[in-house]
Formats: sequence, C-alpha cells, structure tokens
Amino acid sequence: MVEQKDPKDWTRVATLDQCLPGNLFGVQVGSLKIVLANVDGTIYALEDQCSHQDLPLSDGYLEDDQVECIYHGARFNICTGTATSLPAIKPVATFNVDIRGGDIYVQSVE
Amino acid sequence: MADNSTYHSWLNEKRSHAWSVYQSTPTPTTKSEEWRYTDLAKLFPLEQITLEMGLVDSTQRPNREDLIEATNTAGRIQLTDGLVTNIQVDPAVDSQGVGLDSIQNTTHEKYQEIIRTNLCSHVLPPESGKFQALNAALWKDGVVIYVPKNVHVKMPIRGKHTLSTGNSAVCARTLIIAEEGSHVSYVEEFHSDDFSNKSMVSSSVEVVAHRNASVDFVSVQNLGRGIFFQVAQKSLVHRDACVNTLNVNLGSSLSRLDLNTRLLEPGANSKMLGLYFGDKDQHFDHNTSQDHLAPHTRSDLLYKGALDGNSRAAFRGIIRVHSGAQQSDAYQTNRTLLLSEQARADSLPNLEIEADDVKCSHGSTVGQLDPETIFYLLSRGFSRQQAERLIVLGFLGDVMTKLPHGAFRRVVKNVTDAVEQKLRHG
Amino acid sequence: MPESKLVDNLDLDNYKYGFVDSESHVYRTKPGLDESIVRDISRQKEEPDWMLQFRLKAFKIYESKPMPTWGGDLSDLEATLDEIYFYVKPQEQTERSWEDVPDKIKNTFERLGIPEAEQKSLAGVGAQYESEMVYHSLKEEWASKGVIFDSIEDGLKNHPELFKEHFGTVIPIADNKFSALNAAVWSGGSFVYIPKGVHLDTPLQAYFRVNQEKMGQFERTLIIVEEGAHATYVEGCTAPVYSTDSFHSGVIEIVVKKDARFRYTTIQNWSNNMYNLVTQRAVVQENATMEWLDGNLGSKLTMKYPSCYLMGKGAHGSIMSIAYAGPGQHQDTGGKVVHAAENTTSSIISKSISKEDGRSTYRGLCKVHEGAKGSRSNVECDALLINDTSRTDTYPYIEVDEKQANVGHEATVSKVGDEQLFYLKNRGLSEEEAMGLVVRGFLEPIAKELPLEYAVELNRLIEMEMEGSVG
Repeated sequence: MVEQKDPKDWTRVATLDQCLPGNLFGVQVGSLKIVLANVDGTIYALEDQCSHQDLPLSDGYLEDDQVECIYHGARFNICTGTATSLPAIKPVATFNVDIRGGDIYVQSVE
Repeated sequence: MADNSTYHSWLNEKRSHAWSVYQSTPTPTTKSEEWRYTDLAKLFPLEQITLEMGLVDSTQRPNREDLIEATNTAGRIQLTDGLVTNIQVDPAVDSQGVGLDSIQNTTHEKYQEIIRTNLCSHVLPPESGKFQALNAALWKDGVVIYVPKNVHVKMPIRGKHTLSTGNSAVCARTLIIAEEGSHVSYVEEFHSDDFSNKSMVSSSVEVVAHRNASVDFVSVQNLGRGIFFQVAQKSLVHRDACVNTLNVNLGSSLSRLDLNTRLLEPGANSKMLGLYFGDKDQHFDHNTSQDHLAPHTRSDLLYKGALDGNSRAAFRGIIRVHSGAQQSDAYQTNRTLLLSEQARADSLPNLEIEADDVKCSHGSTVGQLDPETIFYLLSRGFSRQQAERLIVLGFLGDVMTKLPHGAFRRVVKNVTDAVEQKLRHG
Repeated sequence: MPESKLVDNLDLDNYKYGFVDSESHVYRTKPGLDESIVRDISRQKEEPDWMLQFRLKAFKIYESKPMPTWGGDLSDLEATLDEIYFYVKPQEQTERSWEDVPDKIKNTFERLGIPEAEQKSLAGVGAQYESEMVYHSLKEEWASKGVIFDSIEDGLKNHPELFKEHFGTVIPIADNKFSALNAAVWSGGSFVYIPKGVHLDTPLQAYFRVNQEKMGQFERTLIIVEEGAHATYVEGCTAPVYSTDSFHSGVIEIVVKKDARFRYTTIQNWSNNMYNLVTQRAVVQENATMEWLDGNLGSKLTMKYPSCYLMGKGAHGSIMSIAYAGPGQHQDTGGKVVHAAENTTSSIISKSISKEDGRSTYRGLCKVHEGAKGSRSNVECDALLINDTSRTDTYPYIEVDEKQANVGHEATVSKVGDEQLFYLKNRGLSEEEAMGLVVRGFLEPIAKELPLEYAVELNRLIEMEMEGSVG
C-alpha cells in the first residue's frame, strides 16, 4: 500500500473511494498499520491497533465519532484517540490527514 | 570418499516437503494464543527478506583437523552463515567413536544413517509450525553430534555461529543423539555485528537422550541488532535419561524461542534454564513446554530476565502432566526485573495436570529492584549504579549456578561479561 | 465430629435442588433465537426505543462472533441454543409481597429456604423464576434512605437516567460472544443503587431458579455503589436436573465509587446439565474496595472470570474463588484484575477440587498499565486432585507495563496426602471423615468468608461428594 513519499513526510495511503462515509479502511505504511475513518466526508486516521489487546480496529465499525473494536467492544474517539469505553484504558495514536485530489495522505511519524 | 549424491537427494526431498508445509502454513498473528505478545507483521514482516529453498553447494567442504592442546574442550565446530567451515576434534574423543560433523557434508555412513532416522522427522517435524517448516526447508548445514553407547565426553564440545552479512535468512540445524549410558555437553554461541538491514537467524535443535544418557545443552545468543533470532529446540528424554538446557538470550532485535522437552519414559528428567537481558527496543518471546508422558519423571524450569530501555519480554510456559504420568514432579518459575519505566513483561506460566499423584507448582513474579537492598548497598559505599549492577548480576547469575560446576566456567564468565557490558551501556 | 453428625441427620440426595415443578408460564417465545424474538422480548417489556436498538445491535454482534475455541468444550452448545426457550414469562409482574407470589412458585422458593433466609434480617430479597423476577422486596428502613433494590426492568422504568448512564458501560456488548447474547435477550436481574455514605449492615440477596426444561436464563444486573457507601450482595442459583442441557448467561456490571466498599458473593449450584457462561465486572474508583467471592459447585460447564478494573488511585480488588468439579463437570473459572491507577492493590485466591473425571481450570489475568506506580498484586492458586482421572489446569496471564509494580503468582497442585489421611485415621476418624476434613481444611480460608447458611451448605456438599471417593 506504500506509495511515493513527498518531502513533508506525507504518504499517499488510499483513494477517497476506498473509504466511503460511515466506513473504516485499514492501510499499512511501512510496518505501521493505520485505520482510516470517514465521518460524513471527513477522513480521520488512527493507529490500527486497539490498545486493549493489539487487535486491528479496522475490523470493527464506526459509530458517530467513535470507532468500536469488534473483538471486545473497546471504543475510541476518532479525533483524539482517547479510549471511551472499557476494556480499553489507554489511547491509540492519531495521525494528520490531508486530501489531495481524490487521494488520502497521512503524515508519517517514522 | 563415499558418493554423497543419494544422501543429498534424500536431504533435498526432505527440504521440498518442508517448503510445501511452510507455504501452506499461515504466518502466525497475534490472534493466535502462542503469538499473542509478538506481532510479526509489525516487528519482522517476513516479506522483507528473500526466502529461497536452500539447495546446497556441496563442493564447499569443511576443513577438518585434530584439536591439539585441548584441555577444556572435546571439539570445536565453526559455522559461518549457517555453513560448517571448520571442525576440530580431540583425537582421544574421536577414537571413542564420538561424531562431530557437518550434517550436509558428512561422508560418514553411520552419521548419514543417524541423520536419516532422526532429522526433521520424529523429533521436530516441519509440521510443528511455520518457522519449524521454514528452517527445515531453508537450512544449508548444521551440526550432528553422535555419542556411542556408554561413552562419556568429559569436556564440552563448542560450536560457534557467525554471520558475515545482513539481509538474509540463515538457517542452521543441530542434531544430538546420545546413545544408552553416554554423556555429552554442547555449548553453542551466536555472534554477529549489528545490521541495518533486517536479517533472520533460525536454529532448529533436536536432542535425543536414550536410556540413562545425559545431555547438557547451552546456547548463548549475542547477535547484533537488526536480527530476528528464531529457535526451535526439542528434546526427547528416554528412561532414566537427563537433558539439561540453558538458553542465554542477550542480543538480536527480536527473538522467539520455542523450547519443548518430552519426558517419554520413567526416570526421565530435565532442567530447563534461561536467562535474558533486554535493553533499547529488544523484544524477547520464550515459549516453553514440559511434557510428562510417563510416571516418575521430573522437570524443573527456571527463566529469569532483566529488562531495561524500551525492551519487552514475553514468557509463555506450560507444564503438561499427561494422564498416567503419576509421581511426576514438575516445576516452573519465571522472574522478571523491570529496570526502566518503558520496559514491559508478560508472563503466562501454565499448568495442565491430568494425573493426581504429582508434585507440581509454578510461580511468576514481575517487579523492580528491591529498594531496601539498594539502600543497604548505598549505605555500604556503593554508588547507585554499582548497587543496581550488583543486584541485577546476582539476580541473573543465580540461573547459572544451577549449571554443573567446572565444565561451563567459561560460559559463565562470558555471559557475566556480556551482561555487565549491557548494564554499562544501558 | 459434630459437623459430620449434623450431616448424618440430613437427607443427602445427590442434588437436593433437583426437583421439578410442573411448567407454568403466562408467555414464552418459540424455541431458538432470531431477530423477531429479540423484538418480541423488548415488546413484552414495553421498552424505550433506545433499548430495542441496543438489543438489535447486540444480536448482530452476537451472530458475527465465533464460538470461543478456548475454555470449556462448547461443541454441543450451538445445537442446544437452537432448542432452548430464550424467554419464559412466569407471571404478569414482580410482586412486592411474598403473599402475592403464585403458590406454585412460592412453594419452590420455600423449598429452597427463601422466606427463612428473609427472616434472618436480610436488607432485601429478590427471586427470579425463569426469565423474570417474580418477587423483589427491600426493607423500609433502607428504602427510606434512598437505597434502590428493584428488578432490572423496574430500574429501567423508574430510574431511566441513572440506568442509561451506567448500563452497558462496564461490560460493552462486544466484550465476548455471551455478553453480546445477554445484551440481546436479557431479562430479569437486579438494579441496585446504594446512595452516598449509606452502610447496609445486612446483605441484599437474590435467588435464581430455572424450572422449565430447555430454558435459557439471561439475567442482567447493574449495581451502583455511591461514594463512601458499603453493601454486600449475595446470589444463589439452582435448577432441576433434566436430561437435556440448559443455559445460563448473566451479565453483572458494578460501579464502586470513591471510598465505597462492595462485596458480591455467588454460590452457583446449578444442576449438572447447565451451561453457565457469565460475565462479571466491576469498575473500582479511588480508594474503593471491590470483593468477589465466587463459589462454583454446580453446572456442566462454567466459564466465569469476575474482574476488577482498578481505575482510581488506591483502589483495591479482591477475588476469592472456590471451584468444585465433580464427575462430568468442568469449572473454568478465575479472575481478572486490571491496575490502571497508582497504588492500586489486588489479590486473587483460588482453590479448586477435581474429583473423578472432573476438571477445574484457573484462568486469570493480572495487568498493570504504565503509570500504575506502586501497584501490587498477588495471585495464589491451589488445586486438589482426588482421583487419577481428575484434571486441573492453570492459565494465569501476567502483563506488567510499569516498573514500579510488584506482581506475583504462585500455584500448586497436590493430592490428599496419604500421610495426612494416615494421621487422621490414627486419631479415630474413618477414611471418609478424614478425607472430608482435609478437603474442608483446604477450602477453609475462603469458606469462612461465606454467609453462614452457605458455609453450612458447602460443608454438606463436600461431605456428600467425598462419600465413596476413598478406596
């Protein structure tokens, strides 16, 4: 999924039509897994790893501004990454997102 | 010299079978219980190294010579990138019929026969797991040690593995067969530089101790960073036999050890010792099992580790006392010291007991350096750093005191030096 | 031995709660489960729409989750779930007065000793029969102090805001397959609220009875203990013995606020044809204490791991658990403690006994999150094996992400020692008495924490189960 990087460490990770409103979409940047979330046309990016048992959040679903982990019901705020429901306690990392044309770019932290 | 072509085509058939097992076995993910704490996709994506089935160039024959002035060593074997390059054997040991040879290039029919009967089959078949299959397909060479009936090899045999280049997958095998009433000890060490490219070193070890035999196996791993060190060790212990192992894990970026001892007949016994010290972003994963399949068997496991920096260690151990294995004693202890705020330890000491007349216990602790001991040492004039170093060395050194005295003095010193060096840089 | 004399005078049926009442219900759904049954349960309860939506979401999650492959053998459960009744309504409403409970049900509970228990000055009593609480009462003394002890349905009707604030927050729907199932079809259970500073000096007690054959009971309990309050809750469970399997899957959510103290005691004595798959979890806030006292004696398979999430500084969690796995039984039990704040402490003590081909499993988690400095946890598991076909397993998960923490786990497995038996026999005890004494001594540290009538009950059971175990 890794595409060319631009000088400001932005990586193109998907096209807009891969992550439609109300949906989640998992991508990989190097060894980092990221889940994209489309809330009414706005794209958010979180680390694709639930802080409870490290399972992929992209298998779960989006409810309003929360992503819910399918495996044990943990929830995270997609803007801040904060855990909003047990069994998760710790937050997950968030990433900056930029839309250029029909493409989704995520700012790399590596 | 015997024609090796039949032997080699047999080995290659075994390899192709293992390769097909490897290809049809899914890569373990954290969803599987045994890989819960080690996310390979994140730590070491297999796609980033080139894996090709190892068909070997048998023209490169190891250099073989007598070991002269050997006071504390029965034999030496050197492996570079998984290929045996040099073998030295004490002539006195050689004359007793003790075999120390390259698996790939042995021309000795007796050893070829031993290898045919035991390698990658009833001890550690490729079906045991993804990496067991990988190793069985990709191995280029390895060490075979054969000890005839009632022969006692007093001094240890030493093996040395080095790596010349990164970005590769080096797979080696070790096969130790101790016949009835024999004794042998083997100490292997892994060293390399740091590599910026990801590399993998895989080691599969098969040990069979026949009736009343005893085998001591010590492995010291001090590979450079950038390396994934993957080990599968399996020991079969027959009536009144004994297999003791010590695995010292200090180097590499990621290491995963699957260690299984099977006590097959009454009187079989095994000590499983382990020691690890992590710093920076090292990740260790030990997966051990003690299978008691017969009555009057005994196993005792002790794994101790200290974790500094961002390092992380997982220990998953299981004692299985199978139905009918009455009057078995089985013990298992894992203790971890956390030396830094960012270190993390996960410990799962498991028991599955299907016989009632057993003595069985396990314990696990995770904790910090005892503030009272530090305080005491400070009051005795030690600096904080010295005090911490002393406690860590004492804590880990405890494992090595369980080794038979004498024969492993050099191992103890090497390991102590290596730990001290890590403590200084930590 | 005064105790064994006492036992001699009792009627020692193998399972004394195994009697059956004739079926009686005012409504029940057809066997098996589909979306229409979920909607039907919600309609029967005249629920607000948000609860129907909650149930429907849960049903979807339940269907999407695979059957667990760990723990006990669930291979026959799928077929059982197609045959059981998910909702059986025994009467029209929850009665406040014992007199108003229908005679047949009243007789059942009288045989289980409920009015008696009530006389022993309990703070409140609830009784569930099939899918509904048939009786719920709270002493006026406590009601006047603002204590709420209602059926969960009345909790939702009468205290909608308090209910909605906490319901499903401690155990999310998707926590596991059976918490999702419970969230879809829950019925019955208690709603408990202990106001700030109120100290209940006697327990609240709830009884759960399944009478109907091929029945699924899915009670849901929500307990909120306000700051500085103290209370104890006791639940007991029994069912008739049928040749077909039944199913019980409860969800218990507890919030223990700052400085509060709460103990939840379970004496599970289901008949040996019951699958008992329960999720119990407490959130424990600053300096509060939560204690689970868990006795699992009955059922075919129990999978239950009461847990404490220690969320506030200085919070303490304790789990004491006794499991008895007799012939054909598997008790897969244990406890979980999660340390998420500084200076939190926890202790798990588990004692299990396996007899004949019975299997007892301890499965536990101790997790210390980064930042939970000064946390301490200690886990001790002891397993006693009676026969050479008995089995025990121990699966503790220890995850420590904080340097300034101390976590320890120890487990031992043993059989009743010949030396111990020999010594006691020389003191004039019969072999069976000696065995009973050793087993009781083994359980004593936990048994002494039980309410008196349950401690007597446990002794009686051990006495009974040890008969014929020697030789």
